[in-house]
Amino acid sequence: MSLEKKDEHDHKGWMEERELTVLEERYLTLLMWLDKRLRLVDYLELLEDLYYKVNMQMPKSHTEQYGLDNKFWYWYPLYALGSFSTIAYLVAAISGALLGFYYAPAAAGATGDPTVAFTSVTTIMQDLNFGYMLRSIHRWSAQVMTAAVFLHMLRVYFTGAYKEPRELNWIIGIVLISLTMVFGYSGYLLPWNQLSYWAGQIGVEMALSIPLAGEWTAQLLFGGFTLTQATLQRMYILHVFFLPFIVTGLIAVHIGIVWMQGIAEPH
Amino acid sequence: MSDNDTPETETDGGTGIVPPDDETPTWSERKERTEGLSRLTYEYFERARREDQDLRQESSYVERDVLGFPAWPHEMIRNLALTSFFVGMIVFLSATLPPEMMPPANSSSTPAVILPDWYLYWSFGLLKLGPLNPDLALLGGSKLMADRTYGVLANLVIVGAITIVPFLNKGAARRPVEQPFWAAVGVFGVTFAFTVSVLSVKNLVPMDSHLLFDLTFLLPFVAGFIAYAILKSMREGYMFTLNRRYYRLRPPK
Repeated sequence: MSLEKKDEHDHKGWMEERELTVLEERYLTLLMWLDKRLRLVDYLELLEDLYYKVNMQMPKSHTEQYGLDNKFWYWYPLYALGSFSTIAYLVAAISGALLGFYYAPAAAGATGDPTVAFTSVTTIMQDLNFGYMLRSIHRWSAQVMTAAVFLHMLRVYFTGAYKEPRELNWIIGIVLISLTMVFGYSGYLLPWNQLSYWAGQIGVEMALSIPLAGEWTAQLLFGGFTLTQATLQRMYILHVFFLPFIVTGLIAVHIGIVWMQGIAEPH
Repeated sequence: MSDNDTPETETDGGTGIVPPDDETPTWSERKERTEGLSRLTYEYFERARREDQDLRQESSYVERDVLGFPAWPHEMIRNLALTSFFVGMIVFLSATLPPEMMPPANSSSTPAVILPDWYLYWSFGLLKLGPLNPDLALLGGSKLMADRTYGVLANLVIVGAITIVPFLNKGAARRPVEQPFWAAVGVFGVTFAFTVSVLSVKNLVPMDSHLLFDLTFLLPFVAGFIAYAILKSMREGYMFTLNRRYYRLRPPK
């Protein structure tokens, strides 16, 4: 019974009767301390699994399997578009977080005078060290991500990689590409220059033209039927709070499913 | 009850958060106890596992030797190389082509050219499909919905059509040569995305706008038919013989 005292449970005695180096002893003590509190044993199997996954042999790629190494470029560039867009997303996230230190989504109106938002972008580009480069990187990584996502979709379509077990991932991909464009759109509005303003105007009109739910949508997304401070602020929160969480989560699920199902065998 | 009488329950001064053995149900007991949906889930999993095993045993399928590169360090180094190459590309682009400075927002002066970013041109172009919006005789020649509603609806229709592709096109065929029709549909879609993007910036295109509108819908069909013809002939042609070995390995269902 578990209630009886057993020798195996006398961990201290067990440690003393073995000849351990200082390092091993420290390690075991720490392990026991943590185990007693967090039940690490229960997770040991997971760790073991992880170890084997890290040291896993990758399956033969298509080029290896069919001996195509000498016929085509080894890394089929089109199959890298998905990871390329993920990389661009990470670059955009980092540069965007840095831009966020200096940008203020405030005092939006449309009188032709520079607003706080517009001035902060100008400051970033003209006064801040490497600010021009930072904004440039953010903008270009966003453009590149969108382009890569579009091309990725074409690649998946033309190689039939959306077929049977992968329908769900195709749908998630379509949600992701749409959200990427919403990301781009909300970011386009933030500098609050002429193009932002008029693109926003088109957005409000599109929202208003939805039957039945139009006015509600316009209120929700743009904070009214004309472009005001509320619009800018909502676009900002969408761009830096809601979308990053949703898109990052969906990307994780998207890649996780690819991991589980394997890459559709290329030709 | 004195301290001496207390049975020695603790082994090494533990926290006692471990459930006692005799009360912890085993997995099979848990399975028997559960009811309803979780019971069904267990039963299904068991069936699915048995089915897998049966299939594995009765099939003549020989497992391929899939040993390739180890993930660490080979794959990781390759991935790092690719990543730094791509990041370098982005940095190069941003250093050479920085964004331009724009005038601040002004509601009283509409700019001559209003444009979203390039990746929204297709959606912007779909908003300009007013001429296709049918006016119904029943309603006295008036339109069923406003042109802009029609445009927003067109966006939804296109996204919806792309979404249901996997449920329309089934089967094991993967290459464009194996499925000329669906490849042609894809070429049609890509061309249409391109032409409708051009339509969205029609005030910048040096062409009669009616001609542009007609071409917007004509060119995708032309491109689609050409793609279909080419793929059909390729299917009969040398590609097919070139890949015969592959088809023997994995015949199309």
